[in-house]
Amino acid sequence: MSTLVIKDLKVSVTENEQERLILKGVNLTLNTGETHAIMGPNGTGKSTLSETIMGNPAYHVVSGQILLDGVDLLKMSVDERARAGLFLAMQYPAEIKGVTNIEFLRAAINARRPKDDQISVTDFLALLDKNLAELNMSTSMAERYLNEGFSGGEKKRNEILQLLMIQPKFAILDEIDSGLDIDALQVVAHGVNAMASPDFGTLIITHYQRLLNYIVPDYVHVMMDGKIVKTGDAQLANTLEAEGYAGLRDELGLDVPLTDDDVE
Amino acid sequence: MDATTLLAGVQAYAHAQNEPDWLLKLREQAVAAYFKLPLPKFEKISYKDWPLFNFTAPTATVSEPVTGELAATAATQQFYAVGDSTIQLTLPAEALQQGVILSDLRSAIQHHGDLVQTYLMQKALKLGDDKLTALNTAMMTNGFFLYVPKNVELKAPIEILQVVDNRTQQNYFSHNLLIADTNSQVNVIQRLASVGDQANAAHVLVEVVAEANSQVNFAGIDTLDCRTTAYLNRRGYLANDAKLDWELAEMNAGDVIADFDSELKGRGSEAMVKTIAIANREQTQGLDTRVTNYGKKTVANIVQRGIILDAATLIFNGIGHIIKGAHGAKADQENRLLMLSSKARGDADPILLIDENDVEAGHAASVGRVDEQQMYYLLSRGIPKPEAERLVIRGFLAGVITELRSQRLRHELNALIERRLTDGND
Repeated sequence: MSTLVIKDLKVSVTENEQERLILKGVNLTLNTGETHAIMGPNGTGKSTLSETIMGNPAYHVVSGQILLDGVDLLKMSVDERARAGLFLAMQYPAEIKGVTNIEFLRAAINARRPKDDQISVTDFLALLDKNLAELNMSTSMAERYLNEGFSGGEKKRNEILQLLMIQPKFAILDEIDSGLDIDALQVVAHGVNAMASPDFGTLIITHYQRLLNYIVPDYVHVMMDGKIVKTGDAQLANTLEAEGYAGLRDELGLDVPLTDDDVE
Repeated sequence: MDATTLLAGVQAYAHAQNEPDWLLKLREQAVAAYFKLPLPKFEKISYKDWPLFNFTAPTATVSEPVTGELAATAATQQFYAVGDSTIQLTLPAEALQQGVILSDLRSAIQHHGDLVQTYLMQKALKLGDDKLTALNTAMMTNGFFLYVPKNVELKAPIEILQVVDNRTQQNYFSHNLLIADTNSQVNVIQRLASVGDQANAAHVLVEVVAEANSQVNFAGIDTLDCRTTAYLNRRGYLANDAKLDWELAEMNAGDVIADFDSELKGRGSEAMVKTIAIANREQTQGLDTRVTNYGKKTVANIVQRGIILDAATLIFNGIGHIIKGAHGAKADQENRLLMLSSKARGDADPILLIDENDVEAGHAASVGRVDEQQMYYLLSRGIPKPEAERLVIRGFLAGVITELRSQRLRHELNALIERRLTDGND
């Protein structure tokens, strides 16, 4: 079993040449075998958390720790974190013309293997075919340039394809449901569920409860104003769907702005 | 070399080769033009002190075939030459039956003198153009000659490998002629490489004449080594409704000045020029790419992308020139450079010269660094930084040459890019 621990994490970003604190002390523990969901209104720091875990240089850790099986991830580069077992399905995957999906996937897989034991073409293609079928993706998509000219839905599927190919310890799915119709959502959920194992943990970041009908979380965390303010089971997502974030804020007696009502 | 010595040397060579009088006369005029004309000027590229002029009187040097990796490529070529020596010439039977001529320039002069006389330095290039083309015309000792007759469509590409022989010190003045007659179609791949460890200058002219309604796809893959200082000139002439597509990869390791121009003479003709280049170490590559719209409704497109590493210099001049009278002409260009070192020097200069009103012209240029978002994406999948960087860079270049017709050629190009990017890091 592996464990990802986030301790009192404070993170800022630079906006208009000023540092703005986004995460104000996040605590979270994920074990493999578990599915966690983080919900919360827009602008509350959910994506900041996922990007900070991955090591996006645009986010500056002010204090706190991120530990993977006791190892300090904050001292590691982005690619080292990935090879240590992290995967971030991105909200806005980059497009790279001139590099095919296939060669990108091979490079990602081989980066995890010793130089003298790179994956054979046959094994790679077998694995690719299996995962493409899992996601109802055509082989032609694998031969196209990486995300180039992909629709929003195709990009999300391609993120999940990478997840299946790379087989990380922990996957963070950052709004993997945005821009997906219900069919695509089911395909994506099917792919994520196919990963389920005692050696795999998921952190789902979403606005909406809908995705959680298909990927049922063990824990639901609600984030507001840079902190996790409430943790519960899958039922919490349903309550939120019914009552909204404002209801929960008032119930908790929090004095925090919700992005939705401070947009004036 | 003074004028008298050069003239005597050129005359002696022409006699020894039994060249016809018209050619001797052309060479004699070329000698005079060489001494009279100035060096061609390319913005921001200074090459006057390069060892391009360390030549001796022309001789018919004999070169042995090459061995190793290059020999494997050579085996698959329709035309293969080392130095002045033509080693291999093949054409599919079908092409021969249709009257296609593929030979070296020397035998074309003897056997197809009328064609050579009609086109050599008459349409694409002309004697009065500049000092360097004049020098080549005076000094040229060989090259390829390809003639595609009217209405002939060649499907399979004609592949040409020309190897500069640096195993001894020698001249290299290569003059090449491709004529696509009315309504014909042809794909040509020209590879320029080098062998040996002596320092030589390579002067290469390629004249492409695309007659009315013809379509020429010309891929050039240049991989001259660091001891070869090169002057490359590929010039296209387009008649009515002709189309000429250039895809040029400048993967040379030495100092190179390249002049890639196309003249849209005929109404409705179109030229597309795609160039990619990598400069590394201390090398300078200067690429001057020009398309001139003379005819009405002509279309010019230039896309150039380059990578600069180490302390190298890479200069892209993109020149779009619309001549008065070229009503309805279009000229578009994009020049982009990536600088991967603080010592690298690069320029991407769009130059638009517009002498007509009802035309469309556009340009984009940038000199930048590796796309951070693309890097982050690749890194987040565990791909180590050096490899991620190579992929992003390769994508930046290869994304341009997406039309390369065969997958084999794409792989070859990717491998070349990879090799150039890792050159010196191992």
